[in-house]
Amino acid sequence: MKTITRIWKVNGEEKTVKVPPMRRLLDVLREDLGLKGAKEGCGEGECGTCTVLINGAPMVSCLIPAGQVRDGTEIMTVEGLEKTEGGRLLQEVYADKGSAQCGFCIPGMILSSYALLSRNPNPDEAAIREAHAGNLCRCTGYQKIVEAVQAAARKWPGNK
Amino acid sequence: MKFLEDMDCAFPKNLQEALKLMADEKSRGRPIAGGTDLMVQWSSGVLPMPERAIDLSGLPELKGVSENTDSVVIGAAVTHAEMRRSPIVQVHLPSLAQAAATIGGAQIQARGTIAGSVANASPAGDLGPSLLITNGRVVVASKAGEREIELAKFFLGYRKIDLQPDELIVRFILPKIHAGCRESFRKLGPRAAQAISKVMGSYRGSAKGKEVKDFAVALGSVAPIPIRLPEFEQWIVGKEIGKKVLDEAEQRVAAMIKPIDDIRSTAEYRQWVSGRIVRGFLEELVAE
Ligand SMILES: Cc1cc2nc3c(=O)[nH]c(=O)nc-3n(C[C@H](O)[C@H](O)[C@H](O)COP(=O)(O)OP(=O)(O)OC[C@H]3O[C@@H](n4cnc5c(N)ncnc54)[C@H](O)[C@@H]3O)c2cc1C
Ligand code: FES
Ligand code: FES
Repeated sequence: MKTITRIWKVNGEEKTVKVPPMRRLLDVLREDLGLKGAKEGCGEGECGTCTVLINGAPMVSCLIPAGQVRDGTEIMTVEGLEKTEGGRLLQEVYADKGSAQCGFCIPGMILSSYALLSRNPNPDEAAIREAHAGNLCRCTGYQKIVEAVQAAARKWPGNK
Repeated sequence: MKFLEDMDCAFPKNLQEALKLMADEKSRGRPIAGGTDLMVQWSSGVLPMPERAIDLSGLPELKGVSENTDSVVIGAAVTHAEMRRSPIVQVHLPSLAQAAATIGGAQIQARGTIAGSVANASPAGDLGPSLLITNGRVVVASKAGEREIELAKFFLGYRKIDLQPDELIVRFILPKIHAGCRESFRKLGPRAAQAISKVMGSYRGSAKGKEVKDFAVALGSVAPIPIRLPEFEQWIVGKEIGKKVLDEAEQRVAAMIKPIDDIRSTAEYRQWVSGRIVRGFLEELVAE
């Protein structure tokens, strides 16, 4: 099996991986790096539970060959959330608003929230719904997730 | 080959390197850009896994949106997210910007590319109609050189495009919308995001008062490839838009297309919706 070496910044820490080039980023994160936060729901890009941020943009890690993730890329998984001010705030409001039920979708959902607010700290409801359209949730009906993002926006670093 | 882990992948650093790999059968591989179609097709077994993939995401020649006087030039590996956020695309190709914004969700838009969408050549590919209304062209390249083809001739049939095994799509040259023209994109699917279209369409046109001066219209998901409606376009030019013409337009469009029944919709429904979409376009064209 051919492998390639890549050096990434995962949740702020430099990580070197030696992996088959077409291995899915999701598997590298979960199995090789032990970061089990990103979940596999569908494996086909539809559900968004495997969402991670690649240089700040949400992407589904089940469709990304590890080799395509270049050296120096910043990857943020749900485990990295608490290292950021906005991430801690989102954890708080998701809990306060009761935005998680079974919780399976949340690692991806909350990263989509983080990416949205980082780019647009004052989103209207339509923008919030659109930014989370690639994250399916079978429990909450989305309303409490929207409310959590609205609450987080009010206190977002820089918005206060 | 059964596992993605067993597939090799080459990472060329520029277009010339990539074309060299593509030129020789021994080094050739399946080009992969965003992987949003391929990774799904390979994992699900719809498409057999090749020995090797050739990664296009590191080729600088395939990146970027630029403009000249008449046209917008979009690199093959430009993503849907880049198109929808590009001021050049928003201003000069509004229908394309709108279509890109409806593809999948943010995660898919950040990865999926214009050439991937065109080369995947799904009848339900959302970009097709917006590309066809521009009368645009596509530039493909092999080691031997470049070739420019009209987009209308590039789509050959169901999942078939005019691309040789050693060629790559390099860029798209898409004529800008003229001052005084309008265009837009409309898509009908089961839900707003992450849904495969039942029918989608785009138009570009101009009117003087209620009279149609120019009209280009294209539909997707109603035939094996995205189509223009040349006979309809000829018929509508010069007409005054009013209820009678709109009713007739709706019927003509429905009668003109021959869609199929599939899991997403029926032929009859697609004909009806196509008529309604084009009617809406004409109303928008002459609106104040
Ligand atoms: C969850 C999900 C939702 C989706 N929703 C939509 C939607 O709403 N509307 C829609 O239209 N599509 C949708 N798609 C399909 C897909 O995102 C698009 O077709 C996408 O743009 C493909 O681009 P890519 O770069 O990811 O292609 P890839 O998967 O990398 O490649 C697709 C094909 O193009 C070829 N290719 C890529 N680049 C080149 C090149 N430069 N030269 C030659 N060949 C090339 C590849 O060899 C392959 O055959 C969705 C996909 C997923 C997974
Ligand atoms: S597991 Fe990746 S989108 Fe569902
Ligand atoms: S909380 Fe159960 S899927 Fe979202």
